[in-house]
Amino acid sequence: MPFPDVKLANRPLHFLYLCDCSGSMAASGKMQALNQAIRQSLPGMAAVARDNPEARVLVRAVRFADHAAWHIESPTPVDQLEWRDLQAGGITAMGEALKLVAAALQTPPMEVRALPPVLVLISDGQPTDDFAAGLEALLRVPWAQKAVRLAIALGHDADLEVLQRFIGTEPATSGRSPRRPLQASNATSLAQYIQWASTAVVGAASMPASRVSETPLEPAAGNIPLPDLPPTVLDPTDDVGPLVW
Amino acid sequence: MSWILPEGASLDFEGLEAPLQIIRGLGGGTQGQVYEVDLEGERLALKWYLPACIARDGGLERRLVASIRATAPNEDFLWPIALLRVSPASRPLIRLRQESFGYLMPLRPPAYVGASEHAAGRLAIGLRQVLRACFGLADAFHALHLAGLCYKDVSLGNLFLEPGGGSILICDNDNVAVDGADHGAVLGTPGFMAPEVLLGQARPGADSDLFSLAVLLFRLLTRHDPLKGQMELAIRCLDEPARRRLCGEDPVFIFDPVDDRNRPDPIEHVAALITWPIYPRPLQALFEQTFCRGMKQPSRRALTGQWKQELARTLDRRALCPACGQENFQASGAPALCWSCASPLPEPITLVLPHGAVLAAPDNELHPHHFDALAGEDLRRPLARVVAHPQDPRRLGLRNLQAAAWSAETPDGRVQPVQPGESCSLAALARIHTPAGPIAVQRPTRPSPAA
Repeated sequence: MPFPDVKLANRPLHFLYLCDCSGSMAASGKMQALNQAIRQSLPGMAAVARDNPEARVLVRAVRFADHAAWHIESPTPVDQLEWRDLQAGGITAMGEALKLVAAALQTPPMEVRALPPVLVLISDGQPTDDFAAGLEALLRVPWAQKAVRLAIALGHDADLEVLQRFIGTEPATSGRSPRRPLQASNATSLAQYIQWASTAVVGAASMPASRVSETPLEPAAGNIPLPDLPPTVLDPTDDVGPLVW
Repeated sequence: MSWILPEGASLDFEGLEAPLQIIRGLGGGTQGQVYEVDLEGERLALKWYLPACIARDGGLERRLVASIRATAPNEDFLWPIALLRVSPASRPLIRLRQESFGYLMPLRPPAYVGASEHAAGRLAIGLRQVLRACFGLADAFHALHLAGLCYKDVSLGNLFLEPGGGSILICDNDNVAVDGADHGAVLGTPGFMAPEVLLGQARPGADSDLFSLAVLLFRLLTRHDPLKGQMELAIRCLDEPARRRLCGEDPVFIFDPVDDRNRPDPIEHVAALITWPIYPRPLQALFEQTFCRGMKQPSRRALTGQWKQELARTLDRRALCPACGQENFQASGAPALCWSCASPLPEPITLVLPHGAVLAAPDNELHPHHFDALAGEDLRRPLARVVAHPQDPRRLGLRNLQAAAWSAETPDGRVQPVQPGESCSLAALARIHTPAGPIAVQRPTRPSPAA
């Protein structure tokens, strides 16, 4: 006879992409590379979600150019997600994007109980609107304060200072946690960072992984200990030229 | 996934005479990557570490070498077979700049699935199989602890189940060390870690294994977490500081007989409320022992041998509800209702053995420990199995799984041989003589429909 038809109680884990779609993203195939990186990361993300029955992983995405708008508005289970390509064109309304996310992280519509949300901001340039106001609005929301905030800088023109302000300042104690913007200088490293954020970080935020003694057990270094960054795997296809920005 | 070892390539490793072919990558995490490999026609698994993992864990290589020398405590571990370093000739094929190493282990057969599939309710598995898996887990840790070793990182992620029979495999044995020898970097997985380890007051060892083992057993038996009740519901954002409070600073068992602050919620924690009453009182008591007194006093936790004994006895008490067919685990003697449909359960036929008693229900088995007080509980080599008659499933028989004949005795003293592989009808017999010892067939005072 079957085991009783019950399953582990779970909590939602909201994962939000904030994607820069300004005109400069059209250069050197950056927009295509980002679309590809996210699309390629979905099966791995679905596998992590499957392995973590304590979490219900729900994905949303915001695009920002002249204005910010929802690219995926309703929180979508990762195994049902179809990634439509983002198109580049316009300026960089990053502040507006943060306000949009701030509104979405209010309770309601956010659940009363959840796992820490994961926010991933990807940008190749400078905000053209009032970034500070957007960030202030975001950080007033308790769920945004609790969120794991990551930033990926695409190429050399990204505003690292702005991205650092988004993820927060690095606590002095943490030795290895990548509390700095991740700098993707080519398509391969972009794909690796997207994969890391959507699998290892989602895993850490939903069901804790094994701890080693150097992991700070004190909650000093943020509310979720971030996993190691992916190793630099030497890519045999590097020679034949992924995009170089 | 970016694979460190090139799929399809043949690599030479120091100490291996033949090259190892990398068949395919199986998975990867923050520690390293696992590959299916072929060594002279034999399929094995290879775990290859990331340099960051090796750098963090200075004792890793020493522990692996010691484990390889010690060999596996029993066959339920995917135990390291050999430590591998790549030869200079194959070094350029490894896609990492820093030096690294890995180890070979048996390949997990495809019938075994991750235990999280069971926790998520996606696995077709029965209560008998779950209890057998729990027994296997307790048995494996019993063998490990008796060898003076401890596992340190018990979690749902390191356990695989074969849902058809309930056998298990334990992977990620690279933290195993001699208990008390402080070589490892691992502390455990939050949610499974003993409170004293989570709070940094103790290093993981055999005592903290006993806590983690009880958590894992509880999660397999109930599909719920022993510490997630009302106190978890009061937490809005379940992050690290919250988990530390819930599992370390103020941990309260959801079924603590005295402290009722963390009772399961009737809607959110329905899994625990449905499944917990299924299990007999002595089994529940071991959880209470570990999660109440044993929460703060590691030496009071239920031992692997106690778990083995009580899990084996629970399987001996298995009976099927005649109304709905669901598996029940009756306390001896007491009249009972089916946990699933609330029908009264008839008093079953009982096989009375020199050491213990087994209720007659299809698939229940007699083992050497039922006959020999000195034999430890072991479910691997059954001597007899209760079977339903192929034409009339209500008629139960006992199949001889031994190599020698039994003699079956009717109430009026007639004796008939039961050859190996044959079954004898329990309704007609009073006693069975086997080479292992006698079996007395005790029928209920009121005849039940099954008899």
